[in-house]
Amino acid sequence: MRSEEIKVCVLRIEGTNCEDEMYQAFRELGASPEKVHLKQLLGKCPADMKRELDDYNILALPGGFSAGDYVRAGAIFAARIKSELSKDIRSFVESERPVLGVCNGFQILVELGLLPAFEGTMSEHPEAALYTNISGRFECTPTILKHESRGKCIFTKRIEKGRMMLVPCAHAEGKLMFAKEKEEKLLAKLEENDQIVFRYVDEDGEYAGYPWCPNGSLSNIAGICNPAGNVMGMMPHPERVVHRYTHPDFTRTAADVNGAGDGKAIFESVIESVKRKA
Amino acid sequence: MTVDHLLIKRNVPFELYDVDIFSASDAELRDLSKDLGLNLSLDEMKRVREHFKNVGRIPSDVEIQSLAQAWSEHCCYKSSKAILREHVFNIQNDEVLSKGDAGVMVFDDEHGYALRVESHNHPSAIEPYGGAATGIGGIVRDVLCMGAQPIGLIDPLFFGPIDKQVDLPNGMKTPKYLVSGVVSGIRDYGNRIGIPTIAGGIWFDDSYIGNCLVNVGCIGIVKRKDLVNNAVKGPGDMFILVGGRTGRDGIHGVTFASAELKENSEEESRGAVQLGDPITKEPLIHACLEVNSAGLIHGMKDLGGGGLSCVVGEMALSGGCGAEVDLDKVPLKEEGLAPWEIWVSESQERMMLAAPKKIVKRILELFDLWDVNATVIGTVVPGNEVKLRFKGETIFQLDLEFLTKGPEYCRPAKAKSPQTKKGEDFPKLPGDFDKILLKLLSDPNIASKEWAIKQYDHEVRGNTIIKPMTGKINKRGPSDATVVKPLPDSFRGLAVAVGVNPWFTALDAYRGGATSIDEACRNIVAVGGRPHAITNCLNFGNPEKPERLGELRDAIAGMAEACKALNLAAPSGNVSLYNEASTGACLPTVTVVGLGIVDDIRECITTDLKEEGDPIYVVGTTKPQFGGSALFRVFGGKGGEVPDVDLEALRRSMECLRGAMKGRMVRSCHDISDGGLAVAMAEMCIGGDVGAELDLSVLPLPNLVSLFSESNTRWVVEVDRAKEKEFVEAMDVPIFKIGKVGGKKLKVMNEDAVVLEQMVSDLRERWSKPLWELLG
Repeated sequence: MRSEEIKVCVLRIEGTNCEDEMYQAFRELGASPEKVHLKQLLGKCPADMKRELDDYNILALPGGFSAGDYVRAGAIFAARIKSELSKDIRSFVESERPVLGVCNGFQILVELGLLPAFEGTMSEHPEAALYTNISGRFECTPTILKHESRGKCIFTKRIEKGRMMLVPCAHAEGKLMFAKEKEEKLLAKLEENDQIVFRYVDEDGEYAGYPWCPNGSLSNIAGICNPAGNVMGMMPHPERVVHRYTHPDFTRTAADVNGAGDGKAIFESVIESVKRKA
Repeated sequence: MTVDHLLIKRNVPFELYDVDIFSASDAELRDLSKDLGLNLSLDEMKRVREHFKNVGRIPSDVEIQSLAQAWSEHCCYKSSKAILREHVFNIQNDEVLSKGDAGVMVFDDEHGYALRVESHNHPSAIEPYGGAATGIGGIVRDVLCMGAQPIGLIDPLFFGPIDKQVDLPNGMKTPKYLVSGVVSGIRDYGNRIGIPTIAGGIWFDDSYIGNCLVNVGCIGIVKRKDLVNNAVKGPGDMFILVGGRTGRDGIHGVTFASAELKENSEEESRGAVQLGDPITKEPLIHACLEVNSAGLIHGMKDLGGGGLSCVVGEMALSGGCGAEVDLDKVPLKEEGLAPWEIWVSESQERMMLAAPKKIVKRILELFDLWDVNATVIGTVVPGNEVKLRFKGETIFQLDLEFLTKGPEYCRPAKAKSPQTKKGEDFPKLPGDFDKILLKLLSDPNIASKEWAIKQYDHEVRGNTIIKPMTGKINKRGPSDATVVKPLPDSFRGLAVAVGVNPWFTALDAYRGGATSIDEACRNIVAVGGRPHAITNCLNFGNPEKPERLGELRDAIAGMAEACKALNLAAPSGNVSLYNEASTGACLPTVTVVGLGIVDDIRECITTDLKEEGDPIYVVGTTKPQFGGSALFRVFGGKGGEVPDVDLEALRRSMECLRGAMKGRMVRSCHDISDGGLAVAMAEMCIGGDVGAELDLSVLPLPNLVSLFSESNTRWVVEVDRAKEKEFVEAMDVPIFKIGKVGGKKLKVMNEDAVVLEQMVSDLRERWSKPLWELLG
């Protein structure tokens, strides 16, 4: 399969607002992304605009404030998907096709039960929550991530374990939490299943808490995948650092300004894994 | 006195009155203006009467309300137009593509960029969260209606002091409450619509206690072939109202904005503040851009001040046509609005499209996909009249020329002589320079604005190259300008910077106006940009007072002459008058938003010091000019000469510095402004997390002047030490080698004497913390 044959559904509703850069990230790697409104998948549109989820190879849920996030981040978008697209999305995931959720997209995947999905493809109720940052504020800030996956996650196959990456955050609700009484057990389960993909660290690679971890997330976790490794959600925005020149410190480091940004490897990994599988 | 007897209810099944201005006495005309919330003067009321006498009937309330909107200061610039015509409208520039609701400039062969800034001061003083949010909403629509994708928001804000107790007149809110509400409003609206908030600033002064200023700016990018007219094309076009529903929020916004704020303004005018809904705006942006780029529409304009009453008339007039509107087709938030309320409501998130009839169906489908309302409410007709019907009854029939040609005044203006050295009252200063610097760094006007910046998503859209803060992660210092890269397939960028110094302008209006341009240009050049265009928001007091109008005139002259000398276009702008509460007027505030072209964003420069051992130069001449300086403000100085602007020196300095940057000689660069060289140097150390060793003896001035003067047209430059010789040769303007990068301290000597010595970590602490502590 050639890159341009890889069709990416960049799914959006009102308030999704990071679709342009998500689209652009896939486009620059040679794939064929398309911005698709949820109503186009549900058939609630003129005939020429209708789309089928099954026709795509990758599903990407970009960041933003879908439907305003007035209830709980991601809850409304997730509810709309769940009520009318549950079957399609389940079979999409079960056919081992990749699903990426960034920021609000991560929140939606958790609300949908596609993450962490300890039992089966899609849990009936959310098993985790992305809760209000410990600062109580929206935090737009560069963060440093350490790659923690031991190899399960298909979005990071090209990234060596332990590598540090600069990927910016911008969210008000990014603190990963489990129910208090299950926290220890479920965290151990995430570890055991190789579901922890990224953690926030300081410039020396240490787990350091706020402000290096901008939200106070459990165990400094920034991104997780499902047990199968084909669904990944992360709060930081890799699509904002596909190029070195969007790194916040590009004017002061020796790295080649024309080189790849730290987020690019995520998109390369998933495209490569789709190609390899085909 | 009541004027009820002059309001004659028409016999129709809805609320409509005809207003008997024919039999009204002068006193009754005044009362009518007041009771109906028209804010028209007696002369203006008489002019309305004259017109209707010629027509031969009395006006309906819809008509008279509509005239009040169109003739408000906010809409027709009746006090400032004569001055603007003399100084600003005649600025010539070949690269202006449009002077519509937003100005549009050439970006490259195929693209233009849109720019505009305006005020949302009065609403924000009453309801800071909603006022600021809808300010953003309005400015985004101004850019959108040019067919441009909004790509950046700019928010210069001005409040009363937050670091001391203030006496609040009745009805006014504390500065802290206002700051917190306004920043939250910008955050929640800007972040939700997904347009990055990339530049701005927060300024504090006693004069803003009763008159907070919330200026809101937006830039956008548009394919030149997609540039839209804010006009209909011709008869047969349909008016399609899209976006939010119409309600009672935002009634009389423009007439309220055109009067002084009073103790009871909140009670009287709460309803003048609109309600924002970013999650209607976000899809509205998509849908409007989609129908435009598909070539489906003839014209587009946003509904802002004056609502439908302004947009229909202006679109029709600009297209040389008339209009017929069925006002009862307008989708409402609630039943029971009187026709005049529907006609003038400033409810948010609405746009008007003009499109040929046969294409309407497709447009409605596209809006339906986004669940955004789109409703045909009228048609374009030949002639020059707007006619409104409501449930079949004609309720409005006005000549467009009369409606939109508001009055224009040449009010008396009194020039104020500028402050000079003679009247200078030098403040009593602490014994050592360390104390002065630390105090300046923690002054809220200079201290880090990270508290606000981190709450704004300044990177959404993924195109922000130089961010508002720069340097080592979690140790960042300030940037001079922000740079965005609007197009995926081009390295060309736009630098955005704010220039404003109200304290200078208060002491010397002309120099203050010119300083705004100098500062915006300095900032743009500091990141590697070429100053290209400006837009401005002029915030002043009551123009009916001659000294206020004098300030306005001189400040405009200073700003405009600088633009002309530097070949900067000024394709859009905004004037906000009556920023004058019972406590007095706000400082004369000339907010300039400067735009610069960056040829290649990969060559941008930031303020943070980079390499130990690199030499540090001051570019430009330092003069003993302290009028309006941070040193005087913080330590209680008065008067003094305001820094002048030598436009030729500015032009040459920018050219040389840009040349040196192109030749890769410059590693970091920061403009010298508030707090002078000392503060600029401290900020460069903070971002770079490295010290500097300086020797002031190369500057032929007392240490105090060298460190704290705010003379214009100056920068601090870190030069690549391997290219120092080239740099010195390239700079055909005064430059002074003042030291080198290195160590963990900012250490300032004058020959053998230590002038100042501070750990960078201590400087950071003093600069970073104040706003977090004051605003929590």
